[in-house]
Amino acid sequence: MINILESIFKNLASWGLPVLMVITGIIEFSLGLYENKWNKNERILDIVCFVIPKIVVKPAIVYFTLLVLPLLLPGYKNKFDWVPFWWAFFIIAVADDLTQYWYHRLHHQVPWLWRFHRTHHSASYMGMAMASRQNIIYTIFFSQMYLTAALTYLGLGYAALFVTGIKSLITTAAHASIKWDQPFYKYKFLHPFAWILERLISTPATHHAHHADTTDDGVGHYKGNFGNMFFIWDVIFQTGIITRKYPSSYGTKAYKNEEWYAQFLWPIFKSQKKGSELSSDGPMVADGITDNIDLRVKKDETSMAASI
Amino acid sequence: MKLESAVKKKIIRDILVSIVLYVLPVVLMFLTFYINGQRPWLEKTTKTEAKK
Repeated sequence: MINILESIFKNLASWGLPVLMVITGIIEFSLGLYENKWNKNERILDIVCFVIPKIVVKPAIVYFTLLVLPLLLPGYKNKFDWVPFWWAFFIIAVADDLTQYWYHRLHHQVPWLWRFHRTHHSASYMGMAMASRQNIIYTIFFSQMYLTAALTYLGLGYAALFVTGIKSLITTAAHASIKWDQPFYKYKFLHPFAWILERLISTPATHHAHHADTTDDGVGHYKGNFGNMFFIWDVIFQTGIITRKYPSSYGTKAYKNEEWYAQFLWPIFKSQKKGSELSSDGPMVADGITDNIDLRVKKDETSMAASI
Repeated sequence: MKLESAVKKKIIRDILVSIVLYVLPVVLMFLTFYINGQRPWLEKTTKTEAKK
């Protein structure tokens, strides 16, 4: 058993993480954490989103790294391999995750970008599959992947491997329906650790708030809590709230159970559902849910975030 | 559907702060090297020349 676990973690960047995610998913399903919400359309979408990017996107990234970077940065291969490991780790962790924070935040705050990210929020449940549930265009332009590839080319590859592994574990755990952070809020002697943990990394409490279908109930906060690995960005930019509670419902109010292929491949394939944000004549952002996009910075949000 | 002015201003301000955050680990690293007198890039060059 120990050998199996060791093997999984040694190969985290390749097959190890998918295996961990599948195991987590099986546990979630067995515990009934998906309730009756995982219908056929959702099942197909989650599985397609889990599998296809790994087959298509990852090889494309490798191609980019091996062929394009030497043309763009000739003579710079391994130029910075002298950087000590922990400094490289720190540099990559910040560069990678801060870039992803911005990529994510802009998809919520720029109306035109919302539909490329909507798929990630459409599910009415949380689970490990949410970490990979994304529109393919959003995945392809995951800007931080290219930044990380470039840093790897420059000689920081070993540290990049560690950052990728740790980040994947944190983001999967933050999306999972297993609330691993709950003991930290329940037991008083763990509260000091909770204070540090919830401000540093994404936890189920802070990230589930981001996936809530409400933002006015004192728990849900889809207009913020954008952090992926680090929640510290939401603290710095006052885009986060910390409540140590979990939303009662998830998803987006404008969800019309759009076809899985439309959610995965929009705008290549569009939804036939009338009035859908993903239909050919649908709105960029549906009426009545303008709060899905942070069109205003509310004073109470700023003061609430300041209390963090 | 346009981006509202207040949101746009906050984004621009936060991007400027982000530039500082991107550079911070690199600056801290070189500051540490300066304090400790380390020059790891020279050690690499020395090793490369020794191999030749």
